[in-house]
This record gives sequence, C-alpha cells and structure tokens, in this order.
Amino acid sequence: MDANRRDILKALMGGTVVAAAAMSVSPVAKAGDEGAVQPLPDALGLLYDATVCIGCRACMPACQNANGLKPDVGGSGGLYMQPDTLNAHTKNLIKLYTAADGHERSFMKQQCMHCVDAACVSGCPMTALHKGPHGVVGWDATLCIGCRYCQVACPFNIPKFEWDTINPKIVKCELCRHIVGKTVSQPACTQVCPTHAVIYGKRSDLLAEARRRIKAKPGFYFEDRVYGEFEGGGTQCLVLSHVDYSKLGLPKLGKESAAAQTRQVSDFVYRGFLTPVVVYGGIVAIVRNRWKEHLKHAEHEGGEAHGEEKRA
Amino acid sequence: MNGTWDRCVQLKEPLKTKPFLIIAGLAVLGLLLGAYRELMGLGYVTGLNDGYSWGLFKNWNVTTLTALGSGGYAVAVFAWIFNEKRFHPIMRTAVLTSLVGYGTGMLALGFDVGRPWNFVWLADPHTWNHYSVLWEVAVCMTSYFLLALDVENMPPFLEKMYRSGDPAKKEKAMKIFNFMQKTFPFGIALAFVLPSMHQSSLGQLMYLAGPRVHPLWQTPMLGLLYLLMAYILGFACVLLTLALSAFVWNLGWDKDIMQRLGQIMAWTTVVWLVVRYADLVYRGALGNIFTFDRFGIYFLVEELLILVPTLLLFSRANREAPGTLFRLTFLISIGGLMYRFTPTTLAFSPLGDYRYFPSTFEILMSVGFTALAVAVFLYAVKTFAILPASKGKIAAEEAMRPFDTL
Repeated sequence: MDANRRDILKALMGGTVVAAAAMSVSPVAKAGDEGAVQPLPDALGLLYDATVCIGCRACMPACQNANGLKPDVGGSGGLYMQPDTLNAHTKNLIKLYTAADGHERSFMKQQCMHCVDAACVSGCPMTALHKGPHGVVGWDATLCIGCRYCQVACPFNIPKFEWDTINPKIVKCELCRHIVGKTVSQPACTQVCPTHAVIYGKRSDLLAEARRRIKAKPGFYFEDRVYGEFEGGGTQCLVLSHVDYSKLGLPKLGKESAAAQTRQVSDFVYRGFLTPVVVYGGIVAIVRNRWKEHLKHAEHEGGEAHGEEKRA
Repeated sequence: MNGTWDRCVQLKEPLKTKPFLIIAGLAVLGLLLGAYRELMGLGYVTGLNDGYSWGLFKNWNVTTLTALGSGGYAVAVFAWIFNEKRFHPIMRTAVLTSLVGYGTGMLALGFDVGRPWNFVWLADPHTWNHYSVLWEVAVCMTSYFLLALDVENMPPFLEKMYRSGDPAKKEKAMKIFNFMQKTFPFGIALAFVLPSMHQSSLGQLMYLAGPRVHPLWQTPMLGLLYLLMAYILGFACVLLTLALSAFVWNLGWDKDIMQRLGQIMAWTTVVWLVVRYADLVYRGALGNIFTFDRFGIYFLVEELLILVPTLLLFSRANREAPGTLFRLTFLISIGGLMYRFTPTTLAFSPLGDYRYFPSTFEILMSVGFTALAVAVFLYAVKTFAILPASKGKIAAEEAMRPFDTL
C-alpha cells in the first residue's frame, strides 16, 4: 500500500513539481528588457490629444467612407450614424467620458492601438493578423480561419467580428493601409480632423511631440505622461488626456506585453522544440522495453484464457 | 458485484434501446443545428458577441471536455511508463473515451470557426505562427487524433475484421496488426507527448489575455495546472465510464483496478493542489479568495468540490465501496471541469459592457455534440470487444489473441 503511494507520488512529483518550480521562477526572473520587442525605427501611428478634440466626430464618417463600411444607424432608430461601441461596421469611435459629478470630462478616440508587440499578432495561428510595413497591424482575409483568438487576446478589446454572415471578417483599424501612400498621404481620420486633435506620423516624432506638450504644461496632462509609451510593451497610437486613462477605457497595463510573457513561458518549456523531442525519445526507450516484456508475458500465457484458436 | 476484469467483451445487447434513441436524437439535432449555423452565420445561432467571442463550443466542448477525453492518455501513461500492469484490461475503454471525447471536441471547433475554408493553409508552413499557442493546439490536437488515437483504437476493429470469416480480410487484419506491433512504442510515445503539449497549451491560451482573466486564475502556470487537471479528469472519466457500465451491464466490479484508479487520481489532485496554492501564494493573489465577490465564490466552490472528495478518497474503504467511489469521483470531476472552464468564461472580463449567456440553439448544439460522443461509445461497446468484464459475469464475445495484447 505504502509502496504504491510512494511510487505514484515520486512519479508525479518528479516530473511536474520540478517543472513547476522552475517555470514559476524563470519567467519572472527573466522579466527585463530581454525578449521585449522594440518599436521599428519607422513605426507609424497616431497621437490623439483629448484636450484638443472638440468631439465633432468628423473622423467617424471619414473612416466609414475610406474603408467602405456601412454606417451603424442602430442607436438612432435608423436616422443617422450613432454607434455606441466599436463593432463590425465601426473601426473608429469618439466617445465622451463624464464623471459622476459632471465636472470632469474628456473625449476619447477608440481604435486599434497598433501595439508594438501585439497580442493579436502573437496569438493568430495563421499569421492573418500581422505586423506590416511600419509596424501597422493588418488583417489578411485569405488566411484568417475566424477563430477569434485575437478578440480574446486584445487588451483593448478592439478586433470585431461579423457575426451575421457566413463569410465573416475581422474588422479593425488598419491605419488606412490600403490607401495611404497610394491615393492619400495620411489616414482618413487625421486628414479631416479640424483641430488636429489626432495627428499621423512616425511614432518617435509623435512621442517627442507628446513630451513637448507635457513639458509646456506641467501638471495639465494626467500624471504628466502619454498613454502608449510603455503600456503593454508600447503602442504605436498614443493618447494624451487630462483625465485618468483608465476612466477612458484604456486599461492599466504593465511595461511588458502579454505576448512577450507568453513567449517566455513557451521558450522556457519548449527550448526550441528540444523538450518534446527529448521526452519523445525517452518514452520510446521506456515503452520499447515494456512492450517486449508485455509480448513475452502474453506469449507465455499463450491463449490459455481465451482466444478463438483455443476455442476451436 | 465483485470480480476480476481479465478480459474485454462485446456486449450482446440490442443497440436501439430507448435511451440510445434519445441520445442519438439529440446528436442528430445538434448536427442539424450545426448545418443551420453554417448557412446563417454564428450570430444567429449563438449568444456570442465581440466581448465574449469564445463560448460554449470552444470553452466547454474543446477546452473543458477534452480534459475528460484525456483518459486514454492518463491511463496509458500509468500502464506503460509507470508499469501499472493491472490497467491493461481497461485500456480499450480508456482510449475509446478519448477518441469520442476528442472527436466531438474537434467537431465543435469546426462549427465554431468562422472561416473554416482557410484551414487548408495549415498545409503551408509559411503561414505557421510558431509562437501562437492556438496554432500549437490546432496542429497538435489534429495530429493526436489522426496519428495516435485512431491507431490506439484499431485492435478491436482489426479483431472484428479477423473474425469476419473472409480469408482475405483475415489476412489483411493480421498484416495491419503486425505492422502496428512493430511501430507500437513509437505510437504510444506520440500519444504521450502530443496530449502533454496541447492539454497544457489549452491553459496557456488564456495567459495571452493577461489582466482580462481574474488573478485567482491568471498565472504563467496555467499550462501546468491544465495539464495536471487533464490527468485528473482523464482518470475520473475512465472511472465514471467503467462504473456506469458495470452498474448498467452487470460487468462485475474489479475492486483492485477501480480503487487504484481512484488512488492515483487522488494523488494527482494533491499535486495539482500544491501547485495551485504555491502559485497563488507566490503571486500574492491569495487575498482575492476572501473578497467574497462572485470570483471568490467560484473559487471556493471549485476548490471545495476538488479538495473534500480528494481527502475522502484517501480512505481505502471509500475507494472500495463502488457507490462512494463513484460519487466522490463525480464531485471531483465537477470541480475539475469548473476549473478548466472558469478562466475562459466566468473569470474572463472584457472591457466594456458585454454579457454572455449561451443561446438555446447553442446549448442544444453543445449537448448534441456531447450526445454524439455517448452514442458512438454505446455503438462501439455493442459492436466491438471493449468493456472489461469478469469471468462468468456476462455471456459475450471476448477479445482474442493476438489482438488483446494492446
């Protein structure tokens, strides 16, 4: 009895707990800049300054037109475009945050943040979501299997899915990559913005501009920082506001992307696929011996108990 | 109802009983609704939305129920690697539960994906994203199903071919079987490595969701915990299947095998609990238990369902009483299924105002896929020699040499 218990425990403890201890320590211990993805030198993005935005929503129909999206008229009873969230018809949305006491207000522009190390790209099994030129996160209809792991993974809840069709697409801002550099020089939203609340450019330039604005008005912007410089490994679309970013629907994220954390665990366990190969080899060796033993044993008993030959 | 299970038997019972017809009816209904979903799109049939884009099909039928389908894997590991010889008579039952469990999981996955035609690109290595945990699951689960599970389930089928009386078929069956015997160790090793990989990956899937999963569940150890839970639920599923079969078809009760299954399951659960709580302490997430919000309550229910029956299973008397063993195992498996399901749905919070509850069609489809697994199981045990039985307990066609050596 006790020998049995010890055997099982040894077997289970041997493999799993050692791995457990090692796994739990390693990814945390490694958590530095090692393995972190740096933004491309020519990464493109947006800088949205909520304190400059007047909430005119001109960017929204411009986005619909540039991307051939049907206006979402659900919220207005069919009269005019009035989406309440990003959805399969809406890649870009201006929302107004008002605090319960009514004093604190800020607009917020919701669209894909084009993460430097994007969870959707890291999770996509088919490379349908990919980092294209200038780090723009694009979606490829010819590869996507519609698994929607991007929706589960995205910390900003951005990718949307066409639920009511048998040929569904993933809908999200792709920084007008289908027209920028061909027929136009910048995305539709920055093109039409009357106050330049949202501007388009190289991430490094946008970051410098954001820092300049923060420096010019110390204490004006929330915590004197720009959202997206470090959050979740950094984003190519940056946000400035005087209101707590988490109130605007921008989650508090660590400096390390979830994609990098997941890769670290995978790398630690798989060791470039060495682990499965070694384990496979070891098990083949063990089972071969057992199998020989087993066949010998079976031969020895040779049809004694049951079997057609015996009965016949 | 004691006895020693030393042979596998084919049940000589009519297939088309009333329960079978009801189960088969549910399966057909599920498949018909599946066809409707293919014609209409996911939104018409399911309660899924942009916040909860994974629901019953992926989170329940695939992530959760394939853990129950890990019986063939878990029992084989103990039979072949830890040399637990007494498990050989139940191997056929174990690998059959795995085949039907994985089969319906993959069916559910097929109905869940929105653009299945693009699966063809899996054949092109250029499209592979090696770092995608879901890619690993897709490739690894398919390989396991096609390369390992099918092969493990061949002997009863070959046996049937051999018995058909047709000499050509007889020869062919022997030919295939001899080839299998030569390649067997390579196959069984594959049947160990592949499930180890994808059962842990199923947990690792949610790690990428980061802070959207509640800290009581979100951890870099998700993979290991899911893998251990696959063992626990695999044992549980085989134990429950055998117990129900023994009750229903009077197969006798091999006290030795059954109590040993319960014992190994209990020890595995202890290891799982050690890892679970060490991880919670290490991450400093333990305090979340005592907030008594809905997450704290899910956690307590899950842990009590797992912990209490496990402790009771350490009494040999409990393990040797068929009814008690069955009930305790049943409770553990409910807790285990909850653990596998919670991080994907109950403890998953997307930004924004999203709610998810499966639609009636969705539930009927999910139930239908599960019913299909049960229906195939019933068909198989009445067509092939699969279930173990003790001598004299049942008049039925028995497994024969050499096919029963697996």
